[in-house]
Amino acid sequence: MSNIKDENLILPRLEEEPNSDLRVGVFICRCGGNISDVIDIRKVKTSLNATVVEEFENLCSLNGRKIIRDSIVSENLDRVVIAACSPISHEKTFQDYIQPLNPYLMDMANLREHCSWIHDDNPEKATEKAIVLINASIEKVKQSNAVDPILCRTPDNVAIVGGGISGMSAALSLAKQGMHVDLIEKSATIGGNMAKIGKVFSPVKIAEECGLCLLNPILNEVVWNKNINILTNSKVLKCDRRGGNFSLLVESSPRYVDSEKCISCGKCAEACEVEVADSWNDGLSTRKAIYKPFSQAYPDSYVIDMENCDKCSECVKACPMNAIKLRGEKEMVPLNTGSVILATGHKLFDPKLRPEYGYGRFENVITQSELGRIMGVNGPTRGKLQKLSNGEVPKRIVMIQCVGSRDEKPDGHKYCSKVCCMVALKNANIIKNKYPDTDVVICYTDVRTPGMYEKYYKHSQQSGIRLIRGRPGEVAKNGENLIVRTEDTLQKDFIEIETDMVVLSTALEPSEGTKEIAEIMDVGVTEDFFIKESHPKIKPVTTDVKGAYVCGTAQDPKDITESIMQSTAAAAKVSEMIHNGIEIEPFIAEIDQEQCNLCGNCISTCKYKALSVKDDLMYIDPMSCSGCGKCLTVCDKNAININGNIDEKIFGTIYGMLKDKKKDDRRIIVFLDSIGYTAADNIGVNRLNFPESIYIIKVHSVNRVMPKHIIYALQNGADGVFIGEYPGDLMYDEVEKKMETIKEKISTNNMNPERLGFSHVYIPYFRGLADKFIAFDEKISSLED
Amino acid sequence: MKQIPDKNITLFKSCLVSTEYPGIESSTKYVFDKTGIDYLVDERQTCCTGLGHYSDVFDQFSTTIIGARNFYLASDNNRKNMVMLCATCYAINKKVANILNKKDETREEVNEIFDKSDLSNMKYEKGSIDSTENIFHVVDILFNKKKEIAKNIKYDFSNFKIATHHGCHYCKVHYNDTIGGIRDPNIIDELVNACGASTIGWYDFKRTTCGAGFRQRFVNKDLSMDVTYDKLKALKNDDVEILVHLCPNCHVQFDRYQNYISNDKNDEFKTIHLNIAQFIALAMGADPYKVVGIQTHTVPVEDIVNKLETLPEYKEINEENKIGEENV
Repeated sequence: MSNIKDENLILPRLEEEPNSDLRVGVFICRCGGNISDVIDIRKVKTSLNATVVEEFENLCSLNGRKIIRDSIVSENLDRVVIAACSPISHEKTFQDYIQPLNPYLMDMANLREHCSWIHDDNPEKATEKAIVLINASIEKVKQSNAVDPILCRTPDNVAIVGGGISGMSAALSLAKQGMHVDLIEKSATIGGNMAKIGKVFSPVKIAEECGLCLLNPILNEVVWNKNINILTNSKVLKCDRRGGNFSLLVESSPRYVDSEKCISCGKCAEACEVEVADSWNDGLSTRKAIYKPFSQAYPDSYVIDMENCDKCSECVKACPMNAIKLRGEKEMVPLNTGSVILATGHKLFDPKLRPEYGYGRFENVITQSELGRIMGVNGPTRGKLQKLSNGEVPKRIVMIQCVGSRDEKPDGHKYCSKVCCMVALKNANIIKNKYPDTDVVICYTDVRTPGMYEKYYKHSQQSGIRLIRGRPGEVAKNGENLIVRTEDTLQKDFIEIETDMVVLSTALEPSEGTKEIAEIMDVGVTEDFFIKESHPKIKPVTTDVKGAYVCGTAQDPKDITESIMQSTAAAAKVSEMIHNGIEIEPFIAEIDQEQCNLCGNCISTCKYKALSVKDDLMYIDPMSCSGCGKCLTVCDKNAININGNIDEKIFGTIYGMLKDKKKDDRRIIVFLDSIGYTAADNIGVNRLNFPESIYIIKVHSVNRVMPKHIIYALQNGADGVFIGEYPGDLMYDEVEKKMETIKEKISTNNMNPERLGFSHVYIPYFRGLADKFIAFDEKISSLED
Repeated sequence: MKQIPDKNITLFKSCLVSTEYPGIESSTKYVFDKTGIDYLVDERQTCCTGLGHYSDVFDQFSTTIIGARNFYLASDNNRKNMVMLCATCYAINKKVANILNKKDETREEVNEIFDKSDLSNMKYEKGSIDSTENIFHVVDILFNKKKEIAKNIKYDFSNFKIATHHGCHYCKVHYNDTIGGIRDPNIIDELVNACGASTIGWYDFKRTTCGAGFRQRFVNKDLSMDVTYDKLKALKNDDVEILVHLCPNCHVQFDRYQNYISNDKNDEFKTIHLNIAQFIALAMGADPYKVVGIQTHTVPVEDIVNKLETLPEYKEINEENKIGEENV
């Protein structure tokens, strides 16, 4: 059988008996009567043309293994067909039983789920169908080649981008398992947002705790761990990926202060005369151009913010350790790692995008983050609650929830930021504890405090915090005071709340670093630009780039607890890859480098991001390739092949299914992916029926079924071809689109395009699939041409 | 930002402009002529149905047919860039375009009616008028001509306290097409800036509706007037002398009802109301009566017009023909 690339060329003909000298053994399982009570095994045996045809009561038992092995050795078999149950149940078993033969030289004919259980009311038809199914498998195995699974191993070092609580937690988990971690942090210190959060709270203890006291031990552990290399003032500029290997180019900016020499005495900052807004205090206080971000910062040393430094050299003179040098070059650090974890975190919604709340116009309108800094003992007011306008303790504070969250208008975010209800309640509680005379009102859309947090919510209500359900329309000024206008949606009343401080609970959104790294690494993002997981339910922390994982608020809004859990999950995923490697089915694409002209069509067409060019060679990452075959269709040079003779095996199976077709027979060939195949098995398991005309072929991806296969089937006696695919498959849209062009091709070959059917399939939807088979069979029987 | 045309324009007449403040249309034409905009008004055009539609007199289907007919006129004139004087026409016609392009069934029903009425030539072809690419408000067109506007300014508005009122149906309905901000609408503010004057920017109730609410003005009059009153008070707090509009319906609500509210609430208001086209025309030196039509305003505009001073560079030319004087 020839390997056809051009659909219009001559297709293989049935008369050719391919590879007829191969010695094939067929082993039929009676399955304790499940098969043999319906199918006449004796008749089947006499109808088959194979070197050996054996039957056995329970082929999957250990005795079955002995029979198969003995026969392979004594009869010198080249190929094996197991006619038994579904390959979904026992393919792995029989791949093992046929040793010493290569596991891929065996095929299973599904006599149970797709035959005896479907046609138990018609033994004669079932017997005929069994013969056809076995013949199809015989012809398929004749086309099979010995191939070996590919084992991929990745180096045991990891780059983690982002040194906040998520990045640090993942780093620690991996380092403690003995892996080397490069922790890359853009700012001058690790610690991230948690360092400035002030207090965190425990829903179990119903109490607030010092955030930095919880963070500091983790930070210290990271610093002390010999397996972790911390790069601050550093960002990833480039990232190339080659099968479990990432090469990153990291740019490290100079600190201008030698961290080894600096003793953090602070004399430099005293000497510095440049004052700039201190971002660690959300700009509520100032710092010098030479500064230490916060007292527990790591590296434990001062750093110069060169954008604001006027190079007066006063700090150099003041430094007793001679640690400061005003000159420094950016350093390029190349890193080669096996995996990457993205922990690039979030930023907060810009409250100026909601001008109606007056942030920036009214001094006493602040954000929760700023309130956190004001309430922090290491903050600008040393923990004293006060209005920014006059330093007085506010008599009333109105908190406005969902600023930028749950907001469908432009500039807003449709999602819930998840943490703001808890943050508002926490800050409200802290205020109530320290300033019982201050009235705290929270205007909310819905209070979302799931699980144990609900107890904290109740506790807050009991401590006198007032809650009004309604989303304020605007904040206006009335003399010295502010007015919050809102609807109380429970009372159905419009109210104006006079207050002297307003606190906005701003949304969490992806940080600039998150957006940048997604672009640099070509990692998929959600519509909100968070890093997207491969599957939101069953593939958490994995991204669409193999070997790259995500955790923390780079993935979506979440609190510290969840961030740490996700970080350790990402670390576990990295550890899985490193410790055991990944065994990959060998049916993936391979490049003929002689033919490839590096046109790049395949790169842009691959949904699995498996292809790349490196050193003027096209490279397919075996860990990413799914073997879907899409790249073959766009390669003008025919330089790509799928390992394992998939094309020929499909031709062989079709040939076997059609070769003894009688004139009045109706045979419909059905291609299903493994989801569809499982659904079809379920039809049998539930003893439903579908027409005898339905013959099912299991394919790795229905995208591997080419127009040439379909036309070949129709030209050689198939009355119809039906394709079923799970819509969750990455290739589903492609396949659906392809159907129309295939129909055109069928027409140009003078056949009725209505003979091709396509449907989505779901595992629980097996009744629907059976109905579709029945309907398609009826439709085909009614076609006249 | 989207492409804004300056030619092949159909200037879409507005019922409220024609009947209440015709000076808005003549001012628009005056400014368009000065800034080199190529436009046509088609006398065959009908009302968009807006006021009737929002008062439950015309249903959406009638509105859609009428829209399709008006779209035909624009296509027939080869002037598919439809520019609205009124925020209601703007939102109504955008919606109609979306319905005709996206709802195949409705479009077919509309075309059947044209067939039955022996008007098959008016049948709407999917995609022929695009909501975003073809339907604009006058402010969009002017926004694109800020430089040309600035070059033509002769009178100085910089000594007045000016605020802006952006119509809901420009800012809050098809907001992906809105220029100059949605949460904090500023397109009129920027046009005022182009005339060499500045606005007070944000003020309390800046984004609030005028209160008209179409039928609300008649069936829920107290509520309607309370909303307008809130805004008038806010303007008074900031000593605003001129409120600049982009929608004739808001203009009616403020100009026609200001004295009514004043009497009702025993609260005096002095803010005058101008459409942005009238404002620019005045600044360019248009005749306050023949072009700007201030005689149709209830709150007298004369005080402001009389206070206008010629910019120094135009002083000589205009010495003999000081604005307003000959006509007062």
